[in-house]
Amino acid sequence: MNFIFRRKRISGILTVVPANERSFVEEMRNFNFPEARSLKLKEVMGYNKRRLVEPHVCVSDLAVFGLQHLLERGLLTRDQIDVLLLVTQSPDHFIPPTSNIIQGRLGLKQDMLCLDINQACAGFVVGLIEAFLLLEQESVRKVVLINGDVLSRKTSPKDRNIYPLMGDAASLTVVERDAEDSVIHANLKMDGSRHEALMIPAGGFRLPSSPETAVLEDAGDNNLRAKDHLRMDGSAIFNFVQVEVPPLIESLLASAGASMDSVDYFLCHQPNRFMLQKLADKMKVPYAKMPSNVVEHFGNGGGATLPIAITFNLASQLRNGHCQVCVAGFGGGLVWASMLMRLGGLSFCEMIDFA
Amino acid sequence: MNEFLTKIAAILEVDEVKESDELKAFPQWDSLSVLSVIAMLDANYGVNLRAADLGPIKSAGDLWRLVQSRKRT
Repeated sequence: MNFIFRRKRISGILTVVPANERSFVEEMRNFNFPEARSLKLKEVMGYNKRRLVEPHVCVSDLAVFGLQHLLERGLLTRDQIDVLLLVTQSPDHFIPPTSNIIQGRLGLKQDMLCLDINQACAGFVVGLIEAFLLLEQESVRKVVLINGDVLSRKTSPKDRNIYPLMGDAASLTVVERDAEDSVIHANLKMDGSRHEALMIPAGGFRLPSSPETAVLEDAGDNNLRAKDHLRMDGSAIFNFVQVEVPPLIESLLASAGASMDSVDYFLCHQPNRFMLQKLADKMKVPYAKMPSNVVEHFGNGGGATLPIAITFNLASQLRNGHCQVCVAGFGGGLVWASMLMRLGGLSFCEMIDFA
Repeated sequence: MNEFLTKIAAILEVDEVKESDELKAFPQWDSLSVLSVIAMLDANYGVNLRAADLGPIKSAGDLWRLVQSRKRT
């Protein structure tokens, strides 16, 4: 599905990562694998340091911390926030929406829209599409798009498939109308028939959490996890990305009439370095144009990793100048989405630690 | 075939893999090696396999024949 947006822009990006850092080498003894194989995994996948919340921290805590940072520095004012769009898969509660909890904690105005969207690693692109759609309304002047997840709390420390790559993070992206006559192209595809590739089987209404769903089971390959835990079919996801993402981006560039060379950066969701380098190889994109260094420093925090790739790698470039960027997200659902835009002139583009 | 076996040997970190060698008998044949093999087949032979496709595969030669059959279709 293709989208075209006119006169819309991102005006600032803030990313929030927990101060609490873990190292792969310290944690690899949890896995039932020979140490040499775990070190090989570290080398191939690019696992090293990652940031995890303390077990009581929720998405609204990261979001409120980030919003307070912006409000205190005058980078945003309370009355400017017409929409709070929260993309998360780890809400504070089933009811009410976490975006309403954030609104209440910050004492934001009543004359606004708070909306939770359940999206995974494609959540930055899907959130931007939704933000641009809402900005068609005259009453909406600024949308604060928040991507946040604390899914480390739902992963098994004995599952080498997923535990060493998980991180927790949030990002806050301010989206508004552009005075210039800019055009943004986007496209996305979804395939719910493959929804089991990434899921938490228990804890919802289909299979409520119980003592049975908390029992660690042998998931094969020496990995232990419970039905309450996030599970990922790693090879199916790898395959999905290599098969679906290159044609998605090709088609995006074709509909925008843009060439591969005209794109300064391909900013992708950050599952691990291995998958991104294979994707770059397949698309014949030089590694310097497709950053893949988020997982080794922060872990994979879902939808917020793409904004982290931006704030970690391009902060001064985007505050002082502009780049032509192609952003691409892909993950649970399954969902894959991409967007081509001129990004820059940001009033803020920074990372802060949550402590 | 020789080039293919050399690539498999590199992934398994051994000097040599023979056509009749059973892949699962190598101690290094784990989920990481499976992913590396899947990536290698995609990059070098344009064949996209899933881990499940490798389930029934026994020897390195079996894998070679699976890759050849996928290339034709």
